[in-house]
Amino acid sequence: MATRFFRFAAVLLVGGLLAATTGAAGSAELKSGVFKPARPAPALSLRGSDGTELTLSRYRGKVVALGFGYTTCPDVCPTTLAYLAQAREKLGPAGKDMQVVYITVDPERDSAERLKAYLAGFDPTFIGGTGTPEQLAEVRKAYGIVVARENVPGSKTAYWVHHSSFVYLIDRAGNLRALLPFGVKVEDIAHDVKALLGD
Amino acid sequence: MVTSLLRGLVFGVLLAAAGAASSQADNAKIRVDDAWARRAVMIRSTDANAFTGTGAVYATLVNAGAKGDALLSVTTDAASVAEIHETFQEGGLSRMREVTRIDVAPGKKVELKPGGYHVMLINLTRDLKAGETIQVTLMFQNAGRIAVTAQIR
Repeated sequence: MATRFFRFAAVLLVGGLLAATTGAAGSAELKSGVFKPARPAPALSLRGSDGTELTLSRYRGKVVALGFGYTTCPDVCPTTLAYLAQAREKLGPAGKDMQVVYITVDPERDSAERLKAYLAGFDPTFIGGTGTPEQLAEVRKAYGIVVARENVPGSKTAYWVHHSSFVYLIDRAGNLRALLPFGVKVEDIAHDVKALLGD
Repeated sequence: MVTSLLRGLVFGVLLAAAGAASSQADNAKIRVDDAWARRAVMIRSTDANAFTGTGAVYATLVNAGAKGDALLSVTTDAASVAEIHETFQEGGLSRMREVTRIDVAPGKKVELKPGGYHVMLINLTRDLKAGETIQVTLMFQNAGRIAVTAQIR
């Protein structure tokens, strides 16, 4: 009689655990601000730093971290890219399904080649995007990215481009899922990417 | 005569050492702790005049003395020019402005860190590779020049 009870309890326990783990798709608990409901990430078609056409559909099946910046940016962009590189490293083998895409806000200086050289300093898998000012303005509008150019007479940098510094997380199905604010911790980025990978 | 000469020499050396020690003491009132630089690639091209990129150096400035001091400028051989900047958030944007000085009050410390104050390196002269170091000289109003080794991360 005791063994029957224990068998019943074991079934209950296993059943309970199974129920807890099989949540509805898209139920990942994230640390950063979430999009509710999730909506498709706006499509884009730009010139990729690898010399081919950059589209998000290329990365369907991976989690995409999409950011905006430029190669002359000294603090915000290197910090963002370094954190994303560290988060990808933290994921270990699962990191192969995390794709960072960085779109320039400075097409005048940031050619595909320049973006490639710059991003390689952080992680060889990072892809940059450039294009005409009009194409890039359209993408920024779709993603709510604001920029402000400031001329710096007498400086070798000539001008700065102040820009929104948050990063979007797009899931494997191509939906916008989270917004990472500037300065978010590496472990929180890794946590959210991992959650979306498992979603 | 030899002994008095020797005595004079010893006295002279001691005086010089005391002088050196006191200027060390002045420098010691300001400390530059944990200087580090973000990794960066020197962007090369066939155009000799092309801009080679920017970098950032961070550190904690500690004023252990009784008198206020201020960081006025920075030089490094890792870039043509170094400026002091501050990142700040405004209107949904990350912005940046050059600052002419960073005051460090007596007994206080000021952090140069990502998203805040930083030394902006303009026109890199070399790659900044993680694990290596660069030499940076900070010029303070009172303490004068302080040379530090910044770890590249």
